[in-house]
Amino acid sequence: MYSLLHGFYQYMVQKDEFCVLILGLDNAGKTTYLEAAKTKLTKNYQGINPGKITTTVGLNIGRIDVGGVQLNFWDLGGQSELQSLWDKYYEESHAVIYIVDSWDRERVDESKEIFDRMIANDNLQGVPLLVLANKQDLPECMGVREVKPIFNKNAHLVGKRDCMVMPVSALTGDGVDEGIKWLVDCIKRNAFARPPRNSEDP
Amino acid sequence: MGVLFSYFKSLIGAREMRILILGLDGAGKTTILYRLQVGEVVTTIPTIGFNVEQVTYKNLKFQVWDLGGQTSIRPYWRCYYSNTDAIIYVVDSADKERMGISKDELFHMLREEELQDAILVVLANKQDIPGCMSLKEVHQALGLEALKNRTFQIFKTSATKGEGLDMAMEWLANALKNRK
Repeated sequence: MYSLLHGFYQYMVQKDEFCVLILGLDNAGKTTYLEAAKTKLTKNYQGINPGKITTTVGLNIGRIDVGGVQLNFWDLGGQSELQSLWDKYYEESHAVIYIVDSWDRERVDESKEIFDRMIANDNLQGVPLLVLANKQDLPECMGVREVKPIFNKNAHLVGKRDCMVMPVSALTGDGVDEGIKWLVDCIKRNAFARPPRNSEDP
Repeated sequence: MGVLFSYFKSLIGAREMRILILGLDGAGKTTILYRLQVGEVVTTIPTIGFNVEQVTYKNLKFQVWDLGGQTSIRPYWRCYYSNTDAIIYVVDSADKERMGISKDELFHMLREEELQDAILVVLANKQDIPGCMSLKEVHQALGLEALKNRTFQIFKTSATKGEGLDMAMEWLANALKNRK
């Protein structure tokens, strides 16, 4: 009887779990963004001092409860030799946040190229995409008006997916909330096509 | 007032972190331990049993356990798992043949309940040897992409030359400080 009630209780309080990949070129600010998101949306969490964040070669994870669901973030290394490891995560992810360094005009085309290659993967069919023009705190960076046309060029690759370009500063935390809010709505809408990770569990 | 309180709390709460250094025999675990502790290369012999030392890094105190890696003594690793904050898993990047065994041992270990919250640092050691595997190759050979619920990081190191260890410890110190 206890286990029945306990199971029922678990069922009632259990939140749907979704996985969100954070991708982008090296030095785009993926780990800083993850820390900013954790700091903003988790009570009593003090993020790593951004000055101490080093190049990621591996995986950083973050769990955030927001909008009645749990988001599991996977922040992967962005160096070119590590990009071939990204696709191992595609199948299980429910959304992708793609971070662009808006200050680095020289590499924006490279970033776009990698983005196109990523969304062409079959395992990311129908997955909501959030493109973040990061480093908006720097003077002379490209605004969202400049970044958007670049990433909208190949609209046919995006297809029917939800795709949004937003400005953000991972360093100051500006724009982090808005992006995640948008993403959560998309993920929920898409939950029929990509059911939450814990849905198969009894 | 609150600041003052939390300052004192942090003084009292500065618990020693417990770290295990694991990996196959001959990977360089003992050399790494003493590199961290005394900053020098010491002559080592295969460890039977364990070495334990206290290492201070950036005001964080670590109790570092280096366990012997030979096949016959690997089953005893599990006796040391409880209360472990982090695992430093050392791989010999030049030993391509035994990468598969190293992978099996790693995953066998990570399945343990007691290590579910431990942070993982993989050191691709012996990078000074020509023709050794690159970071990406080690990453793939160990099948690290299967680790989806754990923060981990992989570093290139050369324990004999002392390269890469600082970066790894710096990252580990930050990761431990920020763990919830």
